[in-house]
Amino acid sequence: MNNECVSETVGDYVVVRLRGEVDLSWSQQVRRAILAALGATGKVGVEMSEVSYIDSSGIAALVEGLQNARSKGQQFGLVGVSKAVMAVLQLARLDRVFPIFPDLDAARAG
Amino acid sequence: MPDGADERRALDFLAELIQALALSTDLRKTLPMALGRIADFMQAEAASLFLVDPVSGLIECRLCVGPVDIVGLKLEVGQGIIGRAVAQNTTQIVRDAQTDARVNVRVDAETGFVTRSIICVPLTTGEGPIGAIEVINRRGGGLFEIEDAVLLETVAAPAALAINNARLVDSLVEQQRIRRELDLARRMQKMLLPKRRRGKFPLIGINLPAHEISGDFYDYFDLPDGRIAFVIGDISGKGLDAAFLMVRVASLLRWSGKDGLAPAQWLARANNESCQTLNEGRFVCALVGQYDSNDGSVVFASAGFPPALLQNAKGFDSFLADGPPLGILPNIEYSERRLTLGDDALYFFSDGAIDARVAGQARIGNEGLRDMIARHTGLAPEPRLRALIGDLKRMQLADDTTVLLLQEPRGAAAQILLDLPFPARAEQLRVVRARLREALDAQGVGPELRDRLVLAVDEACTNIIRHAYCGNCDDTITLRLTRERDMLAFELRDKAPAVDPGKITSRDLGDCRPGGLGVPFIRALMDDWQLEPGTDGKGNVLRMRKRLHSDGDTETNT
Repeated sequence: MNNECVSETVGDYVVVRLRGEVDLSWSQQVRRAILAALGATGKVGVEMSEVSYIDSSGIAALVEGLQNARSKGQQFGLVGVSKAVMAVLQLARLDRVFPIFPDLDAARAG
Repeated sequence: MPDGADERRALDFLAELIQALALSTDLRKTLPMALGRIADFMQAEAASLFLVDPVSGLIECRLCVGPVDIVGLKLEVGQGIIGRAVAQNTTQIVRDAQTDARVNVRVDAETGFVTRSIICVPLTTGEGPIGAIEVINRRGGGLFEIEDAVLLETVAAPAALAINNARLVDSLVEQQRIRRELDLARRMQKMLLPKRRRGKFPLIGINLPAHEISGDFYDYFDLPDGRIAFVIGDISGKGLDAAFLMVRVASLLRWSGKDGLAPAQWLARANNESCQTLNEGRFVCALVGQYDSNDGSVVFASAGFPPALLQNAKGFDSFLADGPPLGILPNIEYSERRLTLGDDALYFFSDGAIDARVAGQARIGNEGLRDMIARHTGLAPEPRLRALIGDLKRMQLADDTTVLLLQEPRGAAAQILLDLPFPARAEQLRVVRARLREALDAQGVGPELRDRLVLAVDEACTNIIRHAYCGNCDDTITLRLTRERDMLAFELRDKAPAVDPGKITSRDLGDCRPGGLGVPFIRALMDDWQLEPGTDGKGNVLRMRKRLHSDGDTETNT
């Protein structure tokens, strides 16, 4: 599975789709994509069903996105979180900090 | 009153005197010269300098000029003019010595010298008078006046300063000499402790003296029948005499145990010997024992030594002393303990360890020691002992602290599962993770634990790249995975500048902010980890360990 980070706009919602293994080699790219999405709209979700691995630098990018959104009253959530990602979120005790949605429809409904 | 010319003469003299004293590198030469000049300046027939001997408390004449040599004359503080000057820290003036009750006329009577008039001023320092300068009889028969006393006080000040400085220098030199000697004593004591044995040897000891020298000791030695005898002891009291006693008792215990006498008899023999040789009020807490590597049996007996701690798979057992300390009452009978060690670890701590405390808190006690041991269970005996000592060193140790650990070294050599050097670049990590997953799968490690271990190793690599190498570079990181029975060991070696383990930042999980998660992840996922300088002092070695449970997977560890 190749690493990929693509942003799509669905109505007033921007979804940042991640694929592959999020690690130090490109977590900065992920971070920039999330911050750019938050700059473009008030509702952002990070879709992670195809993410097979995430390290602490990837988690840091997600945390930064959440804090950024909160400070401006924006919506920020994680969508379709894979088992691998959930395990790391639980380890970091962040599984109850992020709004987590099973799919895009649920995320858009907020 | 002195006129202008007198004043100038006094100032010139004073300047010269101060300079001579200040520049002096050897007061034993400068002071006699200065005293002669003072006598001349004061137009005195005789002058003398007395100093208080700090040991005897007597005032002794150290220098004199004039017709009668009184060097060595000793006076009580308060006795005669000089004694009064020192006792009262005030100038004494005697205008007519023959009628003044304060004057001690004994010297006159013995020497035929006739004392007519005296001025005596104390040599004053911040800590009170250290002696006095006295001038006797104005030449030409006149009497000393008040002005002369003022002059003598003025010249006495720089003399007192110079003498006091010299004394401070002397005491500094003395302190350095004592420190050097203590250092030598410490090194000699260290030499008495047994050398660490190379290879598979079941005993390791560490001694941390609270001061330069220690009253604790440990020892181990081979018995003719192949068993290993061991001793740990703690002399009551601290300081030099405890340290000297330690040397004697250590050799007594070795001597009385060298034939392989059963521990209970061994202690009884050492006790009787100690009762004859130890001074009143001194005693020794000691534990002696023997270990047989062939069947893993250990037998030991304790004379007032703190509880021995046995750690096994279920937890801890502790064994209280089997009798009173050595050297108190003769003909004591001790009992002894016998157990099979197997894979268990037996710890002997002197009470310095039990009395250790974190600043402002209660002593850690046996409970604290158990917690401390439990934290490092995953480590092999030697790094575990080092880690324990590291923990203790971070606490306040009021007393000498000694630890002796008895544990059979693990049997089979570690099996190397992965030995992977790679450039310190983030884009390499994906391959490293894939290779590590493969190696862990081959060991039958369950997928959940496997992914956790991969995460911990990846976080460690990330930290090395970011913080040790300060970014991507072509230097190497080597990942080595080994397995020894059910223990997995991950070792990461780099060639980066040494990292100070104390400066590694971390945070609590649950503190929500970006960054700083790597170390908490490693801590949560591994049983233990430690960072050390690389061999030959270059680079760093990060070691992490994880014990596998029988089903190949593990309990959740978050």
